[in-house]
Amino acid sequence: MRQPVLEARNLSKTFASGAERIAVLSGLSVSLDAGQSLALMGRSGSGKSTLLNLFCGLERPDNGVITLLGERFDYREAGVAGQQEKRWARLRRRRIGVMFQEANLMPALSLLDNVRLRARLAEQPLEQCRTWLERLGIGELAERYPDQVSGGQRQRAALAMVFAMNPDLILADEPTGSLDRRTAEEVTAELFRLQAETGVALVLATHDPELAEQCQVTLDLAHGAPAGPAP
Amino acid sequence: MNLFAALFSHYRRHPLQLAALALMILVATTLWSGVRQLTEQARTSLSQSEQVIAGRQQVVRVDGARLTVSDFVTLRRVGLCVMPWLEVPRQGNVGLVIGVDPLAAACFGGEGGTFGNSQIRLEGEPFVDVSEAARLAEELPDAEPPPSLALIAAGNVTADALPAGYRLADFSRGPDTGELGESFLLNLDALGILALLITALLLRSVYRLGIVQRRDSFALLHRFGVPPAQVDRRLVVELLVLSVLCVLPGLWLGSLLAGLLGQGFGRSLEGLFDAPLYEAPGQWLAPAFTMMAVVLLACLADFLMPGGHRVVARRGKGKLAGGFLLVGLVLALLSPSLLWVFVAVAIVFTGAGLLTPALINRLAERAAGASADPLSRWRYRELAVMARQLALPVVALQFTLAMVLAIQALVTTFEDTFDRWLGQRLEAELYVAVPEGRSGEAAARWLASQPELQTSGAWHRVIRGRGSVSVSGSPPTPVDLFGLSPVSSLVTNWDLLAADDDPWATLTRGEAVLVNEQLARRLELGVGDRIAVEVAGEQLNLPIAGVYADYGRPAGEILISGTLLPEQFQPVFESFSITPGALPLAELIRGLEAAWQVSDITVRDNEEIRSLATGVFDQTFLLTRAMTVLTLALAALALLIMGWVFFTGRNWYFRLLAAWGLSRREVAAQLTRLSVGLTGSVALLALPLGIWLTWVLVHRINPLAFGWSLPMAVYPGFWVELIGLSLLIGLGIALLMGRQLRAGAALPVSASSLTGGER
Repeated sequence: MRQPVLEARNLSKTFASGAERIAVLSGLSVSLDAGQSLALMGRSGSGKSTLLNLFCGLERPDNGVITLLGERFDYREAGVAGQQEKRWARLRRRRIGVMFQEANLMPALSLLDNVRLRARLAEQPLEQCRTWLERLGIGELAERYPDQVSGGQRQRAALAMVFAMNPDLILADEPTGSLDRRTAEEVTAELFRLQAETGVALVLATHDPELAEQCQVTLDLAHGAPAGPAP
Repeated sequence: MNLFAALFSHYRRHPLQLAALALMILVATTLWSGVRQLTEQARTSLSQSEQVIAGRQQVVRVDGARLTVSDFVTLRRVGLCVMPWLEVPRQGNVGLVIGVDPLAAACFGGEGGTFGNSQIRLEGEPFVDVSEAARLAEELPDAEPPPSLALIAAGNVTADALPAGYRLADFSRGPDTGELGESFLLNLDALGILALLITALLLRSVYRLGIVQRRDSFALLHRFGVPPAQVDRRLVVELLVLSVLCVLPGLWLGSLLAGLLGQGFGRSLEGLFDAPLYEAPGQWLAPAFTMMAVVLLACLADFLMPGGHRVVARRGKGKLAGGFLLVGLVLALLSPSLLWVFVAVAIVFTGAGLLTPALINRLAERAAGASADPLSRWRYRELAVMARQLALPVVALQFTLAMVLAIQALVTTFEDTFDRWLGQRLEAELYVAVPEGRSGEAAARWLASQPELQTSGAWHRVIRGRGSVSVSGSPPTPVDLFGLSPVSSLVTNWDLLAADDDPWATLTRGEAVLVNEQLARRLELGVGDRIAVEVAGEQLNLPIAGVYADYGRPAGEILISGTLLPEQFQPVFESFSITPGALPLAELIRGLEAAWQVSDITVRDNEEIRSLATGVFDQTFLLTRAMTVLTLALAALALLIMGWVFFTGRNWYFRLLAAWGLSRREVAAQLTRLSVGLTGSVALLALPLGIWLTWVLVHRINPLAFGWSLPMAVYPGFWVELIGLSLLIGLGIALLMGRQLRAGAALPVSASSLTGGER
């Protein structure tokens, strides 16, 4: 039986707002296989970014179980979070590529050095880094710094960083949210092309229905149930 | 919400920044005003001491005997206008009380000036009624220096009018210390100004950072239709209110600080210049306005010269810094006056201030370029950004570290040298002052006849008085004169700064004179030079056999063989230094009492005197130490706050590292290496500046301010301590930032944003 790359069961997450606690996620379950793409849809504040953070261990759920790349994180028992910190860090370092809406690059490093830094942390060969920039069409900008290139070029560099680490799962939080439509389409096209080429699983948080349609599965956080072709 | 509330909302979100600004204004005011108050008091005291006696003449006896009340009566009976002047040391030998007679001074009235009847206000020290001074003199223990009575002559008293047996002489309270008093005060002024500059620098850095963070709010207000000039005006008002609120309590704290340090400082002033520290009313208005002007200037300099300094900052900073350093170094080496030395120090510090952030930036960039590891490369690049972003607090910390290092080296060197010097001066076990009205002659004869002293002990007699020296026909310079006989083994082990082959032997034979460093420097004297010494009307022409160190008063001193003193020489004071050896103490006391025909003499243990002198020494440097420690604490605090604020701007990038798989501990380690790297670099760069400043203090400022110099010494142990302290500051920054990283998610910033996204 094929094991899913990501499996989450009964995830709950609340945030404190003064004396009150606001539930963002409540009993959410989802599963994703290798090579699959999942779109997280929903309005601002619906919990898309929170769910992505839970999937890479940057935040902890109040309850539930996450199984990621064979590692099980059970939050039903109190006091386990501290022990899981190192395991999550190891997974993020080598197997999960995280991409944000912007500011994915270290401003003090050139685009190439950014890619090399990410590859080095993932213990991947540094020789491929320039090739990744070239594959994304920004090879000639390799020595430039983030503030010397456009927003679209920065997101392409961020893509290069993610793929240079040869991940099993990519978590992308509104990766084209700050770009104009045409540039956003170009970056998205590159993302799906490379995802297909490498067979990596992808979770994409977006509120753009057209972008979500390109994913195999869509999870509308307003309704809480995945829609689309069965995994 | 009005415009003020909108602007001030920044500080509601960042209360720590407001607290830092307020604290810096408060501490800067406290430090500067405290030192200023002491300096002003000292200046008043010195000037009062000088003015009172300037140009005055006194009547003295031709036979050199001490003046008494009967002399005063004699002179007044022949119709001469003279006034008694009785100087009485206060108990504990801190400060002087001067007894004057306002009735007698009435005849000075026509001349105006300080002796005009209306000018002498007997409202406390230093002037009291002569009867009160006489009462205080009676209460003095024997061992205190005896009170001295002088009779000051009015301007109309001429030598011809004096009865037989009297003559006129210049009136002075001690050998002239030239402009050294002013130099001493200039030193203090410089210390205060340096502390003020450092705090102004820190203030500016914190304020500028706040302005950068508020830029988005200003832009938003502009879009809402508020003219930028209106925002600027509100900012000035905001700063004015803040400075008023902090400057006033700062002035109050400053007066407390001055009060706290006043006693030690008073002892220094007294010891150095014979000028007691008089109470002076504290000033409020001028210091308050000055401090507010400094605050406004430090914070709002950008409004005054928009963009100007940035052009300099970006172009040719290295060359400019090099130019400053070169000019400053040459000037420090060659400058003829203390003021120019301070100007040179300011120029060198400016050069170093320009160079340091640029140098750290350059070195970090070079290290990044040479590093194959991307993570190290990132760290070096971040360090370069930090050096640029935190340039002002970094430079302030460097200045403070250099200042602390130099002052610590100076004080420690002085401590060591002074201790050794004092040990040599107090080589004898016992010290006995010749009782009032007795001569040392009989005691000297008795001591010379004691076989135990010749075989197992040692002793000498010191006869202290006044004389003057001149070199090849130059005007005579008044000096303190010490006649020594015999020249015992208790003095022959003194370290001399310069000497001929056998200075003590030639001194013993009465063929040479020894001079103190102060006199040698002032008259540019060296070993072998001949000087004319005038003692009680007789001229001695002697070569200089040696120059001895004399840490303390800037007054000139000479040491001659007691056998050279003429019969008519009237000592101001006489004492014996004795190591009794096998001679029992009781027998020694009995013998001296018999020689002087007194029933009770005071024998002082030199160890007690030594500990007393060491206590005075510690008090002397209390002010300096307090200033440097407070400034260092302030600089450390400022860098801590600035570092924290800087990292707040870079917070996202550390979170990015966590998103890329670095564990919390690894991120914290990166943070620590960065902040410690910065503060460590600052400490390393402060070392050469501090060593240079030590040299300036020892070889340039001290001789110009005090008349003596110290050996140059460096203390690597203290360097290690200072570097350790800097690393602790770095750790503090990392700790604060680590807490912030754990506190919650930060918003990602745009890579092109002005705050936090710089490369």
